[in-house]
Amino acid sequence: MPIAEQGYTHWTGHFVDRRLPWWPISRLGIKMAFKRKFFKFAFALSFLPALIFAVGIYISERLEDFQFMFKGRKGSMSFLEVNPLYFKSYFGGDFLLFMMVMMMVLGGAGLIADDLRSNSLQLYFSRPIRKGDYLLGKLATAGFFLLLFTLLPGLLFILLKIIFAGSFKLLTAYPWILPAVVLDSLLVSVFFAAYTLLVSSLSKNRRYAAILIFLIYFFSDIFFSIFYGIFHNPYFCLLSIKADLQQVTAALFRVKPAFEVPWIYSLLVLAGLVLACGVVLVRKTRGVEVIK
Amino acid sequence: MNIELKDLRFSYGPVVALAGVDLSLGEGACGLLGPNGAGKSTLLRILLGFLRPDRGEGRVLGFDIRHEQARIRRLVGYMPEDDCLIPGMDAVTFTAYFGELSGMPRQEAMKRAHDVLFYVGLGEARYRSLETYSAGMKQRLKMAQALVHDPKLLFLDEPTSNLDPQGRTEVLELIKDISSKKDIQVLVSSHILTDIEYTCSRVVILNQGKVAAQGDIDALKEIRFSLYEITTKGDNAKFLKALAGRGCKVEETEDGILKVYLPADMDRRGIFEAAVRESVQIRTFIRSRTSLEDLFARTVGVD
Repeated sequence: MPIAEQGYTHWTGHFVDRRLPWWPISRLGIKMAFKRKFFKFAFALSFLPALIFAVGIYISERLEDFQFMFKGRKGSMSFLEVNPLYFKSYFGGDFLLFMMVMMMVLGGAGLIADDLRSNSLQLYFSRPIRKGDYLLGKLATAGFFLLLFTLLPGLLFILLKIIFAGSFKLLTAYPWILPAVVLDSLLVSVFFAAYTLLVSSLSKNRRYAAILIFLIYFFSDIFFSIFYGIFHNPYFCLLSIKADLQQVTAALFRVKPAFEVPWIYSLLVLAGLVLACGVVLVRKTRGVEVIK
Repeated sequence: MNIELKDLRFSYGPVVALAGVDLSLGEGACGLLGPNGAGKSTLLRILLGFLRPDRGEGRVLGFDIRHEQARIRRLVGYMPEDDCLIPGMDAVTFTAYFGELSGMPRQEAMKRAHDVLFYVGLGEARYRSLETYSAGMKQRLKMAQALVHDPKLLFLDEPTSNLDPQGRTEVLELIKDISSKKDIQVLVSSHILTDIEYTCSRVVILNQGKVAAQGDIDALKEIRFSLYEITTKGDNAKFLKALAGRGCKVEETEDGILKVYLPADMDRRGIFEAAVRESVQIRTFIRSRTSLEDLFARTVGVD
């Protein structure tokens, strides 16, 4: 292949100071995620709970039309009542949390692991971006997908309820529902994003990182089940990532949590994990930057 | 001056990497030489702002290496030694991405990526996945990402490593073209002395964390020592001992030719004086051209 097919020309444009210098990193991460095998399938499947709950909101306002479905089943329509419990069922649902883990396994495991493997951190840090921008860019990539399955459906549910009901009854009856949706979405997304980045930074191999993301999440729940089964002490729920998320979600939607444990403990566990993730991430990226 | 360093010191824990580097580099391509562990990579990392020096001060393109790292990085292009390409991308996306991270507007970064890829000879392959690239193509792509934001200063770390002779020649031509005609100053760190000699007019030789020599290559070769090739008749052993006693380094080739390196403070007349004293007849006396290899070997004290 000939060299210098075209002569070198100087660039005459001007550099821009971006308000969000991490945005190109996030954009690329989102684009690259969709190139991965099975990601699109998992992405589509993750919208299934949102679709079912959205249909549930529609049915809740057209109960007369759907009477035939519940004939002879006493009290079977209570779950269609759109109240905080309905939202808690969505946000704290096992399937949604499972799909979020799967999204991170398929789309988030390589966020830092791939850069470590390909030695591309040195290219990032030879540009005028800071370590914080890099980490924020990666965090935003994971956060984008997670918010798509939490914040977006949550807001959509409220909007659909208002449209189908033709009134703001939901918001007047439960004025804290909107902040709860926003807060819970942010909490769950930030936690999963930080957790994914932490595990991704621990390995140069995205497959190992993916397996670790999956195993840590599920083993924490298995350990909880084992200890709870033996000792019957609800405080063991603090060992489970899933249970902690469900406890906090229940508290935010003002629904009785599944375990008789102050929800603040679960929040502290999650906050502690996020903090630990931050510390490790800062150290890991510095280590690569300094020592080859 | 593009690069000015004063008493720069850096240690990795107990290991001293730079032990007081004073450096002043102006226009033109400059080679950075030194044996393993001399501090070349550490120096490049400090210049790029990856590392903070323990002591000393420095400026790159007029900006402080401690406090104005972002501005330095915007104006400097860096081509690392190792493979650093992000899998799953094509060359245009890769190059434009790093242009954008340098602060270029997105559209312009993309346009510029096309231009630069054509310049480095990857125009036809710019949409191919990076996984399919050969070693030579990867080197050129690394060069492209370093050039995409039109830097004023280019740091090239072992730019010809892992290349076949043809690929090496092409990359060297490219470096020479950039440094000689494009108003871009180039700092090349390499172990391959002939590459430095081919592409650079100046050289900095680091040894044990200090600058052992710096300046114009031709001038350095003249100043540092003179090399003479001599054939003799007589007792060579005594003659060689006498020359060694005067500070000369002497190598005898298989053909019986003596290569005599004179120290900077010794006149060639000294060789004849030694020959007369040891009753050795000098048959031929030719002043030889010294290579960068000779200069390097003498400066860092290796054969």
